[in-house]
Amino acid sequence: MRLVVGFAIATGFVLLVSQSEAAAGADQGAQLAATCASCHRLDGHDKGIPPIIGLGEDRLTSAMLAYRASQSPSYIMHAIALSLSDEEIASVARYVAAQGRNPP
Amino acid sequence: MKSWTRREFGCLTGAALLTALRPRMALGQAKARVVVIGGGIGGATVAKYLAASATTIDVTLVEPRQVYTTCFFSNLHLAGLRPLEQLTHGYEALTRQYGITVVHGSAEAIDPAAKTVTLNNGSTLGYDRLVVAPGIAFRDGALEGYDEAAMEIMPHAWNAGQQTRLLRQQLESMEDGGLFVLVAPPNPFRCPPAPYERASLVASYFQRRKPKAKILILDAKDSFNAQDLFQDAWNRHYPGMIEWLPAQFTGGVTAIDAKTRSVITAGATFKAAVANVIPAQMAGRLAQQAGLANRSGWCPVDPVTFESALQPGVHLVGDAIIGGDMPKSAFCANSQAKACAFAIAADLTGSARFPAHLFNTCYTYLAPDDAFSNAISFKPVDGKLKSVISFVSKVEESSEVRRQAARAAEGWYDAFTHDVFG
Repeated sequence: MRLVVGFAIATGFVLLVSQSEAAAGADQGAQLAATCASCHRLDGHDKGIPPIIGLGEDRLTSAMLAYRASQSPSYIMHAIALSLSDEEIASVARYVAAQGRNPP
Repeated sequence: MKSWTRREFGCLTGAALLTALRPRMALGQAKARVVVIGGGIGGATVAKYLAASATTIDVTLVEPRQVYTTCFFSNLHLAGLRPLEQLTHGYEALTRQYGITVVHGSAEAIDPAAKTVTLNNGSTLGYDRLVVAPGIAFRDGALEGYDEAAMEIMPHAWNAGQQTRLLRQQLESMEDGGLFVLVAPPNPFRCPPAPYERASLVASYFQRRKPKAKILILDAKDSFNAQDLFQDAWNRHYPGMIEWLPAQFTGGVTAIDAKTRSVITAGATFKAAVANVIPAQMAGRLAQQAGLANRSGWCPVDPVTFESALQPGVHLVGDAIIGGDMPKSAFCANSQAKACAFAIAADLTGSARFPAHLFNTCYTYLAPDDAFSNAISFKPVDGKLKSVISFVSKVEESSEVRRQAARAAEGWYDAFTHDVFG
């Protein structure tokens, strides 16, 4: 059983890496991350706009919750965060954090 | 053996799940074919995200140009702050990284019954789904005398590229003390703050090189987007240089005389040293020919899938669409394109659907180190796209906040164009 799980993990890993940063398919986190990509590069090359790649899932989640609570320092992020549910924030944070671990 | 943390496990099994949910198509079955017409921001984004969403979708992008020059940031070129080459993007990455077939041709006709697109070379492309991103066209006869020949004398520079270069050359060769006349179009038009950003950035250029020059904006409207922010900035940065005349003062611009480089309103004729005439707009020609536009000249769509309200099976994104509060901006086109791509992918592959999130974010320059921004989120309500949350910069913001916005805008350009073309 452990081997089967391991194989599934390994297969998923390879496919995740082989897909581009835009890969979306049926993953909600990936589709939400497509919105992030309009301003934040997801390949670690952000300039001028604070990068989100490299931040862990917990930091991304708490940052989004803080943006949702206040429009300072960014009302752009405030507007984005206000439109997302808790589940959506968790989903996009998980996806973006995973991209950071395996930059294309 | 490495021990997986809960989070790593969750992430990676998530990826495995993604794979499991990807298209269920039997081996040997033909791929679904999506043709995207128009390689601007909306079209290129749809093509990229469709191709990245599912390996079982074959994407063809039809675009006559070899490269695309962004209209956003082209006002920086007019001010001499950014070479046009830095605003120009190719389609190579879309082919190399996402396997998109890019056909450099012009779509001449759509046959929705046969599901084919005819190109200008006579060839046809068959499709299962079609996305049309035709952008804008200028309304014929909206301004008497403003024809194709007049555009070479008094450029619109509203499709970036050669027209932008021409207007920049005219501004460079204009004598100090000359009058620059900018004709601003009626609503709705592409990028509501852009004519006024243009006036601001041309003023910054004049201030550096031709301090006696004047700018006159002859508007088809009586008010404009973010008017308080612009007028505050004009007083602060360029006192006495920019004059804005609304339609209620002039009666509106009625005609153009390219020979004398004059702009004619109901009450007066203004002779310009350089004139930038931005005419009234409508959805691009193909949308008109294919019956995708209604009497307004724009294209109504379903606000969830961006499928045409007039032609089932054909989707539209970008400046050509109407139906609610979304302005005609590159960011909106990009946002709509992603929603459209995911909706088509879900339909074609049977994969899960999630609620789309639609946004507009906009950075607008008032001076090279002074920019303002706004953010709006939208959702479908009663068949239209309704603005839900909206924030815009305030007049009283500090100069440091504005400087930071100007720097953020540069970062945004880099990330955004990478998102579309990279």
